[in-house]
Amino acid sequence: MKLGLFLGCNMPAIRPDAERAIRLTLPALGLEIVDLEGYACCPGYGTFPASDEEASLAVSARNLAIAEAKGVDIAVQCGSCYSVMRHARHSLHDEGKKKRVNELLAIDDKQFKGTSTTRHMLDLMYNEVGVEKIKKAIKYSLEGLTATVQYPCHTLWPHEVMGFDDPRDPHMFRELVEALGAKVPRFSREYQCCGGAGGFAARNHPQAVAFAKRKFDAIVDEVKADLIVVSCVTCLMWMDRVQSEFKDETRKYGIPVFDYNQLLAICMGFDPKEVASISVQPREKVIQKILSTPVGGQKG
Amino acid sequence: MIDLSEAKPDLWKEVMGEGEAAGDIRKCYNCATCISGCPAAEGKPPLLIRSLVRKILLGLEESLLEDETPWSCVSCNKCEEMCPMGVHPFEVGLAVRRWQCRKDQTYLPPSLPEVFSTAHTQAVHKVKDLRKSVGLPEQPPSVVTMPEAMKRFQEMLRATKIVQDNDFVFKAH
Repeated sequence: MKLGLFLGCNMPAIRPDAERAIRLTLPALGLEIVDLEGYACCPGYGTFPASDEEASLAVSARNLAIAEAKGVDIAVQCGSCYSVMRHARHSLHDEGKKKRVNELLAIDDKQFKGTSTTRHMLDLMYNEVGVEKIKKAIKYSLEGLTATVQYPCHTLWPHEVMGFDDPRDPHMFRELVEALGAKVPRFSREYQCCGGAGGFAARNHPQAVAFAKRKFDAIVDEVKADLIVVSCVTCLMWMDRVQSEFKDETRKYGIPVFDYNQLLAICMGFDPKEVASISVQPREKVIQKILSTPVGGQKG
Repeated sequence: MIDLSEAKPDLWKEVMGEGEAAGDIRKCYNCATCISGCPAAEGKPPLLIRSLVRKILLGLEESLLEDETPWSCVSCNKCEEMCPMGVHPFEVGLAVRRWQCRKDQTYLPPSLPEVFSTAHTQAVHKVKDLRKSVGLPEQPPSVVTMPEAMKRFQEMLRATKIVQDNDFVFKAH
């Protein structure tokens, strides 16, 4: 299967180690990646979607058209990019909107037909690669570690447009992390949004921090997680850095946050200095634990 | 107290547009399910999607134009998923922001001219050492690294109403 990797803005600029992890793990698991040369911002919800529908659809359709011209579907990690582009293709079933967008795309020598869909990393990992193949592909295990997963909201709702997992009781991400050997216990705030996207953290910062702290307190108190696994660059950046802002003497935070493909890459034997080198909360201890836990149980 | 003497009864058409689904907002029966799942409802001031819908349906134009809360939305779409009446509350939030941008240029997000001039909200083409350090090509295959394609991208955007109506915002770049 060949896919066009859509990078967005934050991952290539701020967390390129996650990009590297994706570029290494996908082909190793049978998903060939091609680049979408000439791509632009999806465009992010805070940009054109919040100011003008026509321009927003044109920018999204332009990205989709690049994938169409290569005959591939799009693979994406960022939850917002996934949501924006799924939404755009859905909106462009409206013939009037599609006609107007193609008038604009013609200026850039492009046409949108709607033949390429956008698929999220978790969907690809679970439904195209599968848990069994992942179990066989890893050399190191998360055995002995306890993790929580952050279901990217943008991949769940609204389920008619976005969903590939159960919208009320999603489970795919948990199974993907269990496949790496970790325990992923259920807990009370499992499905709470991280709160990091959009204007909330910028405009209502203390409240956004308090909102995130509620989730982290549940993680610390109920799960005592060794690590948090995300599959969205916004969750990654926010859940990583917000912990440093909690003022609470009664709890210990500093939980390392990994993108799923970063963890997978480490377990498959790729170099952590390339696939997981950028973080706010230190990740060394967990990485070392993983690398000293080869699959099969024999300590190295 | 709400003063309805200045209310604009067709405000919902102006905000929601002409499409088939524009009238869905009138299905709202005030249950506030949208608010109960909303992260930004914890903001100060809180984003209360239900109240935005009320303002639209009651035609309270001035109050809606002054209301900055929809810009705190995290786009999680929980409201969209949970609304029992198909009001599409997330879409309402987007529609309000677009309407605000049409009525008042100061609402235009500062990221707009950034996307126009650099194709992204981050400097993806200027982090060469960081990308190299993780084994990646110094620049991603973005349009910003392709001068001729970038010109056509901008030409396309110049043909949109929002860029034409606000050319001073984009000209400086």
